[in-house]
Amino acid sequence: MTRAILAGLTEFALTALVIGLVILAVLVPLALSQPDPLEVLRLFVLGPFGTIRHMGNILEAATPTMMTGLAATIIFRAGMFNLGVEGSFFLGGLAAAATAVLLPLTGLIATPAAILIGALVGSLACIVPGYLRVRFGASEMVNSLVLNFAFLFAGVYFLNYVLRDPNAGALMSYKLPGDFTLDRLLQGTRLHTGVIIAFVACLLGGIWLYGTRSGLNVRIVGWSPGFASHLGLASSKLLMQAQIAGGLIAGMAGAIEVLGLYSRFSWTGLPGHGWTGITVAILARENPFLVIPAALFLAYLQVGGDMLARNLDVPSEIVGLVTAAIMLAVTAAAIFRHPAFLRLIRDIKGKEAGEEQGA
Amino acid sequence: MAEGPIVSFRGVSKTYPNGTVALTDATFDIRRGSIHAICGENGAGKSTLMKILFGLESPSAGQVLIDGAAVDTATPDFAGKHGIGMVHQHFSLVPILTVTENIILGHEPRRAIFIDRNKAHRQVVELTQRFDLAVDPDARTDTLSVAAQQKVEILKALSRDTRLLILDEPTAVLSPPEIEELFNRLRDLCAAGMTILFISHKLHEVRALAETVTVLRAGKVVGTTPLAEVDDTTITRMVMGRDVDVPRRQRQRTDAPVVLELDNVSTRARDPADRIEDISLSIRADEIVGIAGVDGSGQRGLVGVLSGLMRPASGSIRLDGTDMTRAGTPGWREAGLAYLPADRHARGGTAALSLADNAIAGTDGDKALQWGPFLRRGAIRRRVQQMIADYAVRAGGTGERLDSLSGGNAQKLIAARELAGSPKLLIADQPTRGVDVAAAALLHGRIDLAARDGAAVLLITADLDELLRLADRVLVLFNGKIVADLANHPGLTPAALGPYMLGLETAA
Amino acid sequence: MIEFFSAIADPAVFATVLRVMTPLLLAALGVLISDRAGVLNIGMEGIMLSGALIGVLVSAATANPFLGLFAALIGGGLLGALMAFFINGLGTQFIITGIALNMAALAATTLGLFLATGDKGMSGALKSGVLPNIDIPLLGGVPILGPLLSGHHMLTYLAILAVPAVAIMLARTPFGLHIRAVGSDPKAAAAAGISRNRVQLYALTLSGVLGGAAGAYLSMGYVSWFAQNMTAGRGFIALAAEVMGMGTAWGTFAAAAVLGIAETVAITMQTKGLPSELMQMIPYIVPAVMLTVYAARRQAKARKIS
Repeated sequence: MTRAILAGLTEFALTALVIGLVILAVLVPLALSQPDPLEVLRLFVLGPFGTIRHMGNILEAATPTMMTGLAATIIFRAGMFNLGVEGSFFLGGLAAAATAVLLPLTGLIATPAAILIGALVGSLACIVPGYLRVRFGASEMVNSLVLNFAFLFAGVYFLNYVLRDPNAGALMSYKLPGDFTLDRLLQGTRLHTGVIIAFVACLLGGIWLYGTRSGLNVRIVGWSPGFASHLGLASSKLLMQAQIAGGLIAGMAGAIEVLGLYSRFSWTGLPGHGWTGITVAILARENPFLVIPAALFLAYLQVGGDMLARNLDVPSEIVGLVTAAIMLAVTAAAIFRHPAFLRLIRDIKGKEAGEEQGA
Repeated sequence: MAEGPIVSFRGVSKTYPNGTVALTDATFDIRRGSIHAICGENGAGKSTLMKILFGLESPSAGQVLIDGAAVDTATPDFAGKHGIGMVHQHFSLVPILTVTENIILGHEPRRAIFIDRNKAHRQVVELTQRFDLAVDPDARTDTLSVAAQQKVEILKALSRDTRLLILDEPTAVLSPPEIEELFNRLRDLCAAGMTILFISHKLHEVRALAETVTVLRAGKVVGTTPLAEVDDTTITRMVMGRDVDVPRRQRQRTDAPVVLELDNVSTRARDPADRIEDISLSIRADEIVGIAGVDGSGQRGLVGVLSGLMRPASGSIRLDGTDMTRAGTPGWREAGLAYLPADRHARGGTAALSLADNAIAGTDGDKALQWGPFLRRGAIRRRVQQMIADYAVRAGGTGERLDSLSGGNAQKLIAARELAGSPKLLIADQPTRGVDVAAAALLHGRIDLAARDGAAVLLITADLDELLRLADRVLVLFNGKIVADLANHPGLTPAALGPYMLGLETAA
Repeated sequence: MIEFFSAIADPAVFATVLRVMTPLLLAALGVLISDRAGVLNIGMEGIMLSGALIGVLVSAATANPFLGLFAALIGGGLLGALMAFFINGLGTQFIITGIALNMAALAATTLGLFLATGDKGMSGALKSGVLPNIDIPLLGGVPILGPLLSGHHMLTYLAILAVPAVAIMLARTPFGLHIRAVGSDPKAAAAAGISRNRVQLYALTLSGVLGGAAGAYLSMGYVSWFAQNMTAGRGFIALAAEVMGMGTAWGTFAAAAVLGIAETVAITMQTKGLPSELMQMIPYIVPAVMLTVYAARRQAKARKIS
């Protein structure tokens, strides 16, 4: 058992090393272009830990991506490359706002009802491409990619013709009634109770995947369809269950984001948290428990980037570059499937003591 | 042109990095302009030999001589340079391309930056005429019949000044008239000066076509001899090996009730491995029926209809009196099927999951392991630890990944899962292939035990030793049919099975 | 219906259709080449965006729009080659590689714009070169046809010429044959001595060059400046056009034309205050439907065989 932990730590160490190198490779040239390079590095790396408020900002930024990361994890675990998470997030937010504007709900049931409707409507963007794959064998990847935009424009139409407040200057919905909100948790930030939902969702997702029969069956279908058919598992049903679960979570994430942060709904483009969720899932190696630190890490980079932008006039987009590079580096088979690394892991697991290998 | 043999193997050996010895000290000549057959069981070393000759692998020792000169085979375009063409058992044609495009692929005639389509067309027409192999040069390859695709494959192999043509089991996918036509074309080619190397399991085909045969067994050349000088019995003996007597299984009861019955079951399928014709058989409790036959004789089809992976086109199947003809996999498993699949990497378990997860997969609803939807991890660990102990699986712990186990230990774990809860029918498909001796002995003991506990057992194996050791009755499959139904007794030897397996005799 | 055709025949409307179609067509042909080689270029959006910025920056720095275009083509090609290096050299998955490229390009172009101009939103301060329109000498004088066919942007003509060029390349050249072989059956191609890595490298590079041209058109033809995320999903529409085109150059051309008309109608509707969003959905719904119908038919056919 200890050997397995040691091997896991070795893999983690390599991941951390690769990520560190990637960050430096992107950041150092940029820092050198600035008058005070060391200040750039210090602000980016240490800045987010500077105050409670900044740490609150990290949690705030990680709230939606924890949930989209969890959604993508569940979908990928079933062996599907369904990118509908982005569309589900958008639709979920829209449906929650529509619930708030259109339905005469008040009191304690208002917010849960909006989140539930957001989840249900949002799940469509994952369910449709998933179903077309399971039923007809159409590529879920291409279908989800294009249908995300179809859902976006359908949503914008709905916003423009149903929810739009004609008295507001720009294209945005009527104000969401006061009962439709999530409580703020920390002064000076927009951190709201949604973060608790996100944490709990990831923990429940991990317990489901590793602790229940259906979680086990989904992992079997995703990893080896041949073994699933040998066992007589209902593969299509399990695949659809995973797409539905992922869609519900992503839709819920969108609803929580809208209710937690905004007083009006005003998205006219895809918000991008679904894409980040895919990055989170990949970084977390498709493990729901690791989605939490992975989302927090990407949020930490985001806050670091924002601080650079605010204090040194360095654009925060640098973070997008870092994230993309990390995404490629941690999936590179040339690094993590390198024969030398695999041999090292095997030696650590196989031999009585792995210490001499570590050196 | 040089005289003497076109190809000579001199002490050629091949040991793979993982330690598998595929070929030992192979020495023989291939006479120029002859049809030379290579015979041997699965795993005898035929395909390794061909890979070396086709330039895909290099020998670890020994030399290959072409026209009397030693050559280094694993060099780029080796086959093209020496005029060696190969017709693979699984065609290497791109389905969406036309016949012409497939034939010229990789060495297109050019005019400026374009493919010279007129020249390409001419070349292909000329090839089809010269070798009398008629195919439409402009047809899309995936619209052709299998026999026509094979012609394309042969034309492709002949398209580059080929002097030596290798055919790997070319008749497996053909009907008898198509085989006859293929043989006529090959004889014509030979008459025109081509050397042909013909790899086959089927002795009557070898005899019908070839002049000389080289027999391989367990990676060694048993002999090379003109076919006119040997009779079938001798060749069969060369292929099968000396008769070594093995201890037989002692059956407890011979009057136990019939568990599995197949009546005239047939399947329709493109692939001959999936095709069975008019199979009738019954297996009693405490009976092990062994299936012998060269690979691809219909074994996969037989296992398919008995596990719900395929549906019979006609006939009926009963298990314990219940009709199972149209049952799917869940139905079969529900009815008490245990199945050790031949492709255990893809179908026996999930490499990336833990031993515990693999060992309890498919036990949905087992109250001892589940509390509502939740898995009882403690109970599962104890159960799997017990399985590991019972089957002597050498593993670090129940949390290890399946792919951390050796092949033998992984198979023991799969057997532990499948044999849990006294099955009614056990299908053991190549249960000990690639498994170490100790693990094989344990698995044999467990299969025997399952039968004693009342299971009907279907054993499919290419290992004739194993077959004779375990089976109470041996059925031989050839071209999807049962050609022999033999009671196992100490007089039954691999050599006695040979004529049926090679399609020379029937006794059903 | 007659109204519709007479509207299209109006030179101004026809010109709008061509303007909208040009970047889609260039990019979709790029996607087509990559798809036929078995590595669908999901990163087209990012390549277009990069091409757009490079074109503006280089043309402004050299005061020569043709150098700007050239640089955009080179830049696009290099990005395509980089994708191939990641996919076949480092073993990343092509879908993830494309997503990462889109993400990186959005960030890098914003960053590049900022470093060059000090502005993150738009390149207003930079004087971008503009690629010329071409008047076809004799045709320009012909009534009706002349105003329709002459005087369009040079990249519009290039895009239309690229259709037969790509079709012929795929059908008639050894390279095209190798692309089709590798994309359809890499094992069989390898047995014929064709290297998948090399073919995919060239295919993605070419795909990137076309994407660079599409991007240069956006910033040096459609408009004459660069704005953050100015591609606004056109790379994905190009992907959709390629899917609608069923893997052929002429089909892709037809799809790009249909999508161009749809977007023109959407623009017209918008100016008249009609709901343009529903029109904007078309380029995304039609390919999904076609892809699904195509897959369903293939599945039915496969069932019949077995």
